[in-house]
Amino acid sequence: MFFHIVLERNMQLHPRHFGRNLRENLVSKLMKDVEGTCSGRHGFVVAITGIENVGKGLIRDGTGFVTFPVKYQCVVFRPFKGEILEAAVTMVNKMGFFAETGPVQIFVSNHLIPDDMEFQSGDMPNYTTSDGSVKIQKDSEVRLKIIGTRVDATEIV
Amino acid sequence: MSFATDSPVHSSSSDDFAALIDAELEVGSSGSSPDEQDNEEEEVDADSDDDDSDDEEDDSNDDLNDHRNKRCKTEKLDDLEGPQGSTSQGLIEEKLVSLNKDTCTHPGSFGQMCILCGQRVDDESGVTFGYIHKGLRLGNDEIVRLRSTDMKNLLRHKKLYLVLDLDHTLLNSTQLNHLTAEEEYLKGQSDSMQDVSKGSLFMLEFMHMMTKLRPFVRTFLKEASEMFEMYIYTMGDRPYALEMAKLLDPKKEYFNGRVISRDDGTQKHQKGLDVVLGQDSAVVILDDTENAWTKHKDNLILMERYHFFASSCRQFGFDCRSLSQLKSDESEPDGALASILKILRQIHHIFFDELDSDLASRDVRQVLKTVRKEVLKDCKIVFSRVFPTKFQPENHLLWKMAEQLGATCSTETDSSVTHVVSMDAGTEKSRWAVKENKFLVHPRWIEAANFFWLKQPEEKFPVSQTKNQ
Repeated sequence: MFFHIVLERNMQLHPRHFGRNLRENLVSKLMKDVEGTCSGRHGFVVAITGIENVGKGLIRDGTGFVTFPVKYQCVVFRPFKGEILEAAVTMVNKMGFFAETGPVQIFVSNHLIPDDMEFQSGDMPNYTTSDGSVKIQKDSEVRLKIIGTRVDATEIV
Repeated sequence: MSFATDSPVHSSSSDDFAALIDAELEVGSSGSSPDEQDNEEEEVDADSDDDDSDDEEDDSNDDLNDHRNKRCKTEKLDDLEGPQGSTSQGLIEEKLVSLNKDTCTHPGSFGQMCILCGQRVDDESGVTFGYIHKGLRLGNDEIVRLRSTDMKNLLRHKKLYLVLDLDHTLLNSTQLNHLTAEEEYLKGQSDSMQDVSKGSLFMLEFMHMMTKLRPFVRTFLKEASEMFEMYIYTMGDRPYALEMAKLLDPKKEYFNGRVISRDDGTQKHQKGLDVVLGQDSAVVILDDTENAWTKHKDNLILMERYHFFASSCRQFGFDCRSLSQLKSDESEPDGALASILKILRQIHHIFFDELDSDLASRDVRQVLKTVRKEVLKDCKIVFSRVFPTKFQPENHLLWKMAEQLGATCSTETDSSVTHVVSMDAGTEKSRWAVKENKFLVHPRWIEAANFFWLKQPEEKFPVSQTKNQ
């Protein structure tokens, strides 16, 4: 599910960036650091939509770096157990199929595929119903229910 | 001056929001059965607390089980007394059955989550299948189950399994800095990487390597794919394996992710069929190294090594000039791959068309043994100056090889002998062979028969006289 939330982060800036473009530098560094990362709490940060406010900078003792607390709005994506999602199939084999929705990798075991769908091997392996009406193969879109999620440091599974 | 922490501070509002969503969804789906159709879990939810850890959930389930058992007993007592006990009895039984379905067998895991129920499984048993997808692991029961269902599927399509080695079997690779001066001309002759399906010599700058595909390999793969489901199994690392798969199979029609590298094997320096999802009785292996397959020698077809680059010859201690230095190559229609393809066709034909037993009990290893025994059948061989003295001749590699190929071996000459295998034409047995008009051949004749699965013309393996007699 997607959420539009406000997050806060302390950004450190090197004095070479001070000057007229301080705010732009801060914002671009924020984007580079945060977009594309994921955490267990909020999920995958898809994009930053705006900066709410930038607090007063505090100089770190011993170095010239300055830390700014930045509040920003962003779109995050986080899958939940029990959620229904659409996904695109990436690989089909006898164990089930792999699909992905954005940055999330999904595996559907053949235990959880309806019994009337059988695996057909070949150069385009797929799962097909007995009457041939529904076919799941690479690049087809499926709707599925999540039964478990796990977040790695860099990815969501 | 003030200090500030490094860690990103999350604003409280979003914290609450995330926690709220978490809470709502966890309660709604905790303990829910994997099957979307069954939805009888109201009892379980009402009793269990909203907690995240699996241990606690398991405990609460166990408690419920006990609770239910007790309830069942009391109900039974009631039944004896009153008629209305029976309907509630039926309900309790149904709930017990549904509770049994909850104890998931965890057939496998993806990213440490069970593929059937979604619970966290930190089990280390079973085999990882990292080559199919990162994070996939299957339990032993599941592997057995998959093997037998897949077997039925393959037999219906009349296919067996074929495991192919890469280096020296289907191709030969060398590092760019190992190229000799005589081989520099190859750099100018390499084929384009844009359309890989036509070329055979490839320069992989980013891996600092050059690869030459064995002649006939493309036809081989195309024809074999109609009879076999193919796997690549190499002792190279995964990036190398995937690059070679791209060169051999640019349209991804032969291997479909069945590329096993040394990172996927369960034992160091050994290849095994445990990571192959196919019954051992239906797998044929094509490899140039026998020692890599100690547990599956019966499934192995040994390939003659393909030495194209000089570094490859040197690696095996050969002093001769390699194919690239001689500016020649293995013959395409007569080479190793072409002859092995004929053998594979023969094996496939025998397995599916000639054996009369039940399909599931046929064994391709038996077929291999039978085909092998045809090669040198009707030959009786005597060896001369081949084995070191005081060596037990029956234990020698060549003796055993000849017997596997169907020949009978003996230590004494007599009229039934057909071939004398010797290293020196001057020995007593060699001279006897010439006198009695028997074939006198070099031991390489037996090795060639082993590689080509065909009795070779004896004239091609003459024995020379050694000078120091």
